[in-house]
Amino acid sequence: MDPSVAASAAAPENGVEKGAVPKISVKGVTKVFSSKRGEVTALKELSLDIQDGEFMVIVGASGCGKSTLLNLVAGFDHPTAGEVLLDGRPVAGITPECGMIFQQYALFPWKTVQENVEFGLKMKRMPKQERQERAARFIDLVGLNGFEKTYPHHLSGGMKQRVSIARSLANNPQVMLLDEPFAALDAMTRQVLQEQLVRIYEKHRKTIIFITHSIDEALLLSSRIVVMTARPGRIAQEITNDLPHPRNADVQLSDRYMELKRHIWSSVQAEVLKSMEVEAGQ
Amino acid sequence: MTSKSNSSMVFISVGSLVIFLAFWELLCRMGFIEPLFMPAPTQILARAGKMLGDGSLLQHTLASTRRVMVGFMVSSLVAIPFGIFLGSSRFFMAVFDPFISLLRPLPSMSWIPLSLLWLGITETQKYSIVFMGSFAPSLLYIIEATKGIDPLLIRAARNLGASNLDVMREVILPGSLPQIIAGLKVMLGIAWTCIISAELVAAREGLGFMIMNGKEYFQTDTVLLGMVMISITVMVIDVLFRKFERRLLPWTRQ
Repeated sequence: MDPSVAASAAAPENGVEKGAVPKISVKGVTKVFSSKRGEVTALKELSLDIQDGEFMVIVGASGCGKSTLLNLVAGFDHPTAGEVLLDGRPVAGITPECGMIFQQYALFPWKTVQENVEFGLKMKRMPKQERQERAARFIDLVGLNGFEKTYPHHLSGGMKQRVSIARSLANNPQVMLLDEPFAALDAMTRQVLQEQLVRIYEKHRKTIIFITHSIDEALLLSSRIVVMTARPGRIAQEITNDLPHPRNADVQLSDRYMELKRHIWSSVQAEVLKSMEVEAGQ
Repeated sequence: MTSKSNSSMVFISVGSLVIFLAFWELLCRMGFIEPLFMPAPTQILARAGKMLGDGSLLQHTLASTRRVMVGFMVSSLVAIPFGIFLGSSRFFMAVFDPFISLLRPLPSMSWIPLSLLWLGITETQKYSIVFMGSFAPSLLYIIEATKGIDPLLIRAARNLGASNLDVMREVILPGSLPQIIAGLKVMLGIAWTCIISAELVAAREGLGFMIMNGKEYFQTDTVLLGMVMISITVMVIDVLFRKFERRLLPWTRQ
């Protein structure tokens, strides 16, 4: 980077109050994956700011690079060009500040529910007594009391994902990254977990980035929605979700809901068609 | 077939064994088999009674068992952490790969001359034979086991703040433990072949020594008794190992 540009970018930051620095700032990020079969550009010059306490949902066709973006924010991967900032500082590696929730739960099968939830605290070398109490609180929060000593393979998918959410929250991350967390669940379980997540968000006010390909899920959960283009992924559209809370059945049948849904669908549809053409052409 | 219960299957197995032994006994009694080549089961049993009485049977069995256990424990205790370390570091894997590849095809027997030269006919020499015979294959089992870990779990652990050492201890070790134990079970059998060969060549006690000594004095019943004792001891240890396995892997219990 040109040093003069860097200096001028840094200067106003110091003068402005802290709230003006976005929690997460994705700046001109390009991500290219190279393999034996050639190069794939997953993201191209993508820029996006996420403010502290926002519930941002990213919607896009499959293969549009949504997960790639999340992996860059979590520090699992590095951008080919551009940078990702957390509180104005570049993300250098994997950071517990950004707690990730995976679609496949990623619970440790050899640990009980309690031990799974305690994991991050154990990594912080928190004393046993203290971490047990803290874990118990978050197991209670997701309504899994009585399952503390159960191993994950005895739990249903929905329960596993609740353990995973408790495990992340117990670690007190500033940001929660959720990669299609409810995609593998049945419709009713999904709804229960969506409501639970909204309650958790309202109580703990974490900054959330949530990936989905369900427009309804995006409308129910988000404070802002970003639609991504087909590969290479860029931002097609940003929508501020002004639907009133709680987003109950009345809201879901309102004209405003329908209008937003139609609006998002039209832009998602165009991208889905494009990505299908790309796949057909390969 | 499916209507047969477990206990009736055990009954069939026991019956088949009894019929086999009776047939063998009969052939010997009728003079079809020369006792020098194949003594009757009752003759072997008589030898067992005698050797139990003077304590030598127990002494030989315990000597071999102790050698296998010490050699195998030392080998496993070194191989498990080292294998997990190599399984998670591509650099050190490349450093050690040529040595492991060279050591692995060597049968433990081939170490006997060198070990005798270096250590003499001692207990340490026996332990070293078991160690050399089981270390390299154990290591390869363990490295292979670490590759079966879901990379997502490693990612999740790192995301929750785990360091490299934490990942090895908290994710790779427990995650590969079922496969490691399956591999070690096979290795325990190999450790027994190691010790018996070592004892056949040079020893003052042990089941291998007992077999060799029996042959020297044309006591074929002692030879066969030694072989039967090897089978029984390995079977008993296998059962104990399985109990230990279940305690070590509580999450695999249904």
